[in-house]
Amino acid sequence: MVEPAVLSVDGLTTEFRIAGKWHAAVRDIGFELARNETLALVGESGCGKSITALSIMGLIPKAAGRVAKGRILFEGRNLPELADDEMRKIRGDRIAMIFQEPMTSLNPVLTIGFQVAEVLRYHRDLGPGEARAQALDILDQVKIPSARDRLDDYPHQFSGGMRQRVMIAMALACQPRVLLADEPTTALDVTIQAQVLVLLAELKQRYGMSMIFISHNLGVVATIADRVAVMYAGEIVEIAPVGELFDRPTHPYTEALLRSIPRVDRTSDALVAIPGQVPPISRMPQGCRYAPRCGLKQPICERAGPPLEPVPGSGATHRARCWVRAGGTGAAA
Amino acid sequence: MTATAAASALLDVEGLRKFFTVRRGFPNPRTITVRALDGVSFSVRPGEAFGLVGESGCGKSTAGRAVLRLIEPDEGAIRFHGKDVRALDRGALRALRRKMQIVFQDPYASLNPKRLIGKTLAEPMQVHGLAKGAALAERVRALLDEVGLPADAAGRYPHEFSGGQRQRIGIARALSVEPELVIADEPVSALDVSIQAQVLLLLRGLQQRRGLSYVFVSHDLGVVRWFCQAVAVMYLGRIVERGPLPAMFDEPLHPYTKALRGASPVPDPRARVTMMRIEGEVPSAASPPPGCHFHPRCPHAMERCRVEYPAWKELGQGRGVACHLFDE
Repeated sequence: MVEPAVLSVDGLTTEFRIAGKWHAAVRDIGFELARNETLALVGESGCGKSITALSIMGLIPKAAGRVAKGRILFEGRNLPELADDEMRKIRGDRIAMIFQEPMTSLNPVLTIGFQVAEVLRYHRDLGPGEARAQALDILDQVKIPSARDRLDDYPHQFSGGMRQRVMIAMALACQPRVLLADEPTTALDVTIQAQVLVLLAELKQRYGMSMIFISHNLGVVATIADRVAVMYAGEIVEIAPVGELFDRPTHPYTEALLRSIPRVDRTSDALVAIPGQVPPISRMPQGCRYAPRCGLKQPICERAGPPLEPVPGSGATHRARCWVRAGGTGAAA
Repeated sequence: MTATAAASALLDVEGLRKFFTVRRGFPNPRTITVRALDGVSFSVRPGEAFGLVGESGCGKSTAGRAVLRLIEPDEGAIRFHGKDVRALDRGALRALRRKMQIVFQDPYASLNPKRLIGKTLAEPMQVHGLAKGAALAERVRALLDEVGLPADAAGRYPHEFSGGQRQRIGIARALSVEPELVIADEPVSALDVSIQAQVLLLLRGLQQRRGLSYVFVSHDLGVVRWFCQAVAVMYLGRIVERGPLPAMFDEPLHPYTKALRGASPVPDPRARVTMMRIEGEVPSAASPPPGCHFHPRCPHAMERCRVEYPAWKELGQGRGVACHLFDE
């Protein structure tokens, strides 16, 4: 990479305490996020995609969770080492996050104008009038119709799609370098989802921002991502540029996931389900975490977890965590 | 609906209407009429999976429930095997419900948390007097096996199961009384994709093995394309287009069907250029726009569309549409 990465995550392991024992919810997560890039984290419930984002934001609840290992480098600093007040300055300013459910993320008793302006007053020290003017500007940019008349409206007066636009406005108010979008369109109808996806792509371009886009929907990911990391049971099992990933899914899980999606654009009777289910974090298999469900399982897969290695025949940008299909060492063992 | 089609239909719904009135607002509440179903007609053939698709609030779930009279419709006809469902008294309705069952979206909310799975599955058979004693236990075992759950599931509680397994239990409960028609209301929407595929394959297997028919309510066009043989697209309480699959998604006619189809994401980065966008949001069903409800968002809206709701036009081969573009 010519330019240095905006955000780089290396060996991130986040643990939660269950019945007095610490269990890793995500393990050995590593990726770099380039300027203006959209990296998608995709996987099913409980795969650790949201935990990864919350770890970056420093929002893992301290009572039951901790970032146990790894570095998250951003603007020359290692985020997990920062004190709370330093992290608070970064959060919402340099790194912002939007969530799936815009109703529960907005304060129901404050007007949306106040909530967007609050971000600017806190991080930019603006006076009320100036903050309000900038809030209006950003609400216009996220295409809230007649935003001027709606500044003093409350969240319940907005539709789901409009609330998500308000959330995006709050997140972008300080022009963050990195936006973490956690399933931002999952609660929306498809026509509204398409509008929000296009809006996010436009704003990302305009601000020169990088985005981590979390989704369970491979269709949405194909629409918006530059690069995709597929997660399973707390690990990245495959990472590749978006075209490469969909053309050459290499990890058996990625491949199976793609075959289990009924597609609107073609007729295919070959819908293949993945047998079994994701193991709970307190009972992870010793070897490859996907091995119990995998059709290509070899003896080594149950003994040791495979590393994330380059896929033979493609550049170093396409890596997979599989003894059978990636790396050069495993096949012989 | 032509007479022959209606005669061969398992379920025939005609002109179904349901308006809800709600009092809303503070401190001066107003009465609002929500037109949830505003003249919905469709029919389902034996062994067919018929899809109802649309966005939130379009009335697709209300339609599914009104067919079972779980929501009492205001107007319209529902005929099951030619028999008028709306004319039935309580006893006759209960007997008919043996033949028409429902599977709900949320497998967490639709099972009694304090009841053993075995009891949940046995109760409908006891109510309808289908089996008792050892035969009942045997049928519970057979049901669990049919939906791919272990026999010991009968002695466990809902919280011990994952979402996908709970949905299997919901399906087993619906099957327990050997229905001919199952209303499946977003049965896979709450599930992860790999689990969604498992449940879809199970439902398809039951359709083939038992000759089951479905009314399949969903917002996911991909799932509907794979599972259903015919589909109706709803918008603000009305069906705007109906036809067989996959033809209707390959060549949609109504601008709204086109918009839905174009906005449905496809797992292929090359398809992103075709991703289509329509402006605006679904208006409230309490105050639908005059004329064609879709005209404020429609790229082809004409003067007529603003004043007159388009009449339903049958186009042959099971296809029909309500749009002024197809007026003569």
